[in-house]
Amino acid sequence: MDAELAKRLVDGLREAGISFITYLPETRLSQILPLIREDPSFQLIPVSSEAEAVTIAAGAVLGGKQAACYLESTGLYVASYSLLVMGKQLGIPMLLVVGFLGDFADQRNHFLYATIGSGTVPLLDGLGIQHRLLEDGLDLGARIKDAVRTMNALRSPVALLFSGEFTR
Amino acid sequence: MIRYECLEFLAPRITDQLVVTSLSGQRIEWAHLSKHEGNLMVGMLGCALGVGIGLALALPHRRVIVLESDGSVLLSLFNLPTLANLGCPNLAVFVFDNQVYSGSRISVPTATAGRTDLEAMARGAGIECAVTVRDLGAFKREASAALSGNEARFVVCKVEESLLHREIPRSTIDLAENKYRFVRYVERTEGRPNPFVGRG
Repeated sequence: MDAELAKRLVDGLREAGISFITYLPETRLSQILPLIREDPSFQLIPVSSEAEAVTIAAGAVLGGKQAACYLESTGLYVASYSLLVMGKQLGIPMLLVVGFLGDFADQRNHFLYATIGSGTVPLLDGLGIQHRLLEDGLDLGARIKDAVRTMNALRSPVALLFSGEFTR
Repeated sequence: MIRYECLEFLAPRITDQLVVTSLSGQRIEWAHLSKHEGNLMVGMLGCALGVGIGLALALPHRRVIVLESDGSVLLSLFNLPTLANLGCPNLAVFVFDNQVYSGSRISVPTATAGRTDLEAMARGAGIECAVTVRDLGAFKREASAALSGNEARFVVCKVEESLLHREIPRSTIDLAENKYRFVRYVERTEGRPNPFVGRG
């Protein structure tokens, strides 16, 4: 992902009111991490498993923060139990910022990723988590704001799946 | 030592601390002993410690108490290095370690009944203040320190298996109701609204 797109993504998160981000680093969107780390608008929380990225974000939401989890699509499988019981059963909104490894438009797709990618949308559908695919930076800020408004309205995690231009 | 007598000591001492409980008999016992609005009764294994870490990070001026079980912590061991590296000086974790999956109804042993030592695992993960208590006197000392201390504490409480919770009537408050009551309590005591809670 080029630097300008990374900056716009981080700007979009800030302008949408996200202030607390848990993450396990991945390859597609990692350029956002130094920008978030340097921005005092955010608390950036490194974790050891995507499962706890979700539970820690849930705690922060209950404490009054608007939270996001940044992870790659493999991490959705790891986090699925936490997403189900904290996100859906308890009804805790959070934004899932997902590097969509293995998607059709993933510019680094490979036999290691394609099977994971092909199951990502069915997994989210099975969990009842709304999602949008973003393949370019068109109206990026507005699309992030739409997702945050939706997650709060639904009291549920909502996923933005970043593919295409974001995976170069 | 049984878990109920530990909780019986702790409950009346809670003032403005936020308390997160895991799924196990302790959830039923705590709901029976404490009507504190700052109780969050997480109804799933493997989630309470993560939620407590998130609360402690979001509200660093508030004391957060997590009531965990051995089975639940064993399901979320990744929390230990994360907690150690984040610090969370306002967080205290009590793990009531009865060494069985009591919910199995046939007392299937957990790993802590064998060779596994949760205190050693916490220390190995980097949590400096990790201790094990085996009697009520030691629990009372740790609990008193945890309520107002300024360092992350991880207290493994070795308890006998007790089925007392099966004799206690379950709370009529469901998960969503408890969540909103907790969030409203945080809003009121913090003096600011939570972004996701509706205003009609």
